Amino acid sequence: MVEFGIEFVPRDLYWKTTFYAVQAEKMGFDYLWITDHFNNRNVYISLAIVSAYTERIKFGPGVTNPYLAHPVVTAQAVVTLNEIAPSRVVCGLGVGDKTTLQMVNIEQSKPLATIRESVRVIREIASGGTLEMQGEIYKVSGAKLNFKVNSSIPIFIGAQGPKMLALAAEIGDGVLINASHPKDIENAMKFIREGADKAGKKLEDLSVSAYTSFSVASNYEKAFKAVVPVAAYIVAGSPEMILEQHRISVEVASKIREAIVHAQWKEAFSLVDNNMVEAFSICGTPEICIEKINKLLTAGVSQIVAGSPIGPNMRKSINIIAAEVFPHFKK
Amino acid sequence: MAMEKIARNIPVSLWNEASEKLTDAILNSPNAGKMPSDLAKTILYYWQRDQLATEVGLQRLLEASMILDPEKTISLMEELGLPEIVAMLKEIQH
Repeated sequence: MVEFGIEFVPRDLYWKTTFYAVQAEKMGFDYLWITDHFNNRNVYISLAIVSAYTERIKFGPGVTNPYLAHPVVTAQAVVTLNEIAPSRVVCGLGVGDKTTLQMVNIEQSKPLATIRESVRVIREIASGGTLEMQGEIYKVSGAKLNFKVNSSIPIFIGAQGPKMLALAAEIGDGVLINASHPKDIENAMKFIREGADKAGKKLEDLSVSAYTSFSVASNYEKAFKAVVPVAAYIVAGSPEMILEQHRISVEVASKIREAIVHAQWKEAFSLVDNNMVEAFSICGTPEICIEKINKLLTAGVSQIVAGSPIGPNMRKSINIIAAEVFPHFKK
Repeated sequence: MAMEKIARNIPVSLWNEASEKLTDAILNSPNAGKMPSDLAKTILYYWQRDQLATEVGLQRLLEASMILDPEKTISLMEELGLPEIVAMLKEIQH
């Protein structure tokens, strides 16, 4: 059965994020992901307070990265959360946001080895084991938590490129595909199948999610307006190959990037067109969103994550998803 | 104490509508940063238990809304056709 996740960015005040998290749980979302960027509120503190006000929804960082937080620290954090909310914690892991990492002069070096080894560290430490490891990236000598744990925390790996998608399927419990377009999901599924085959896994045993940029409203224009800033950032950060696949002018994308760098928001957002929004988001009235979700499911995903901005009015948009979108996919 | 009395005067038939309007006002207020943390946690407590549309829930929502945006709160009560509540809120505002 299809599952639905929702993503919150803790740029908002903690009580607003928590309010929406409680609402998401009441409305039937299955997963709650909170983004991890050092310049927003802390992801684990945000998740801890969310855990105190919710009872059922599964939750975790979506996604944290091993460049800023050593995987032993991530293991410690998710294990502690799991003590507060047993069997509800998941761990989203990825290479992080290039722009944010550049601010602190951190390079996303050797991403595949870093993710592979991080997963090993998190699994071993979170299960209460003692870790001895002389990896390419991490050297760990007898690391162990000083308290009793026996957790099996599912690790979801955020991926976009072919090699990372294959690795995510090979070593992860779930894959978070950073894409909103059926064509991108279809392409991603090839690599996911490859990775799953390598590990001798069945695709059905893997949770495969489309981690989308989502904006829903009763009025299309309002949904569109809300998603434009997010689409501008995605276009600005996308490699040429991805832009060309979606017939987006590399030149216009470059203009958007320049405008963002110079904080010329009006200029950047005015260059975003329907094609860009179509390529990089699920946006529109509930009917339009349902149609696009159907296409993503046909392409092979089992979870839809409604990511930022959700809609022009967060509370109303969550209610619209529950009242008008869920009935098409959930009992 | 004053807010408790004010909330008690909201007719039961308007509890849902009042709670919806106040919740929206609080979540979308440009002054959301003025919300006292203790009050935010009390509201979350009632929200988790589906008790915002009750006398105690409304009391907390009114309290928060008056801190964040008193004028807006008063105009919401006017929209609901509650002149007595409007007068009481104006009184505590001064």
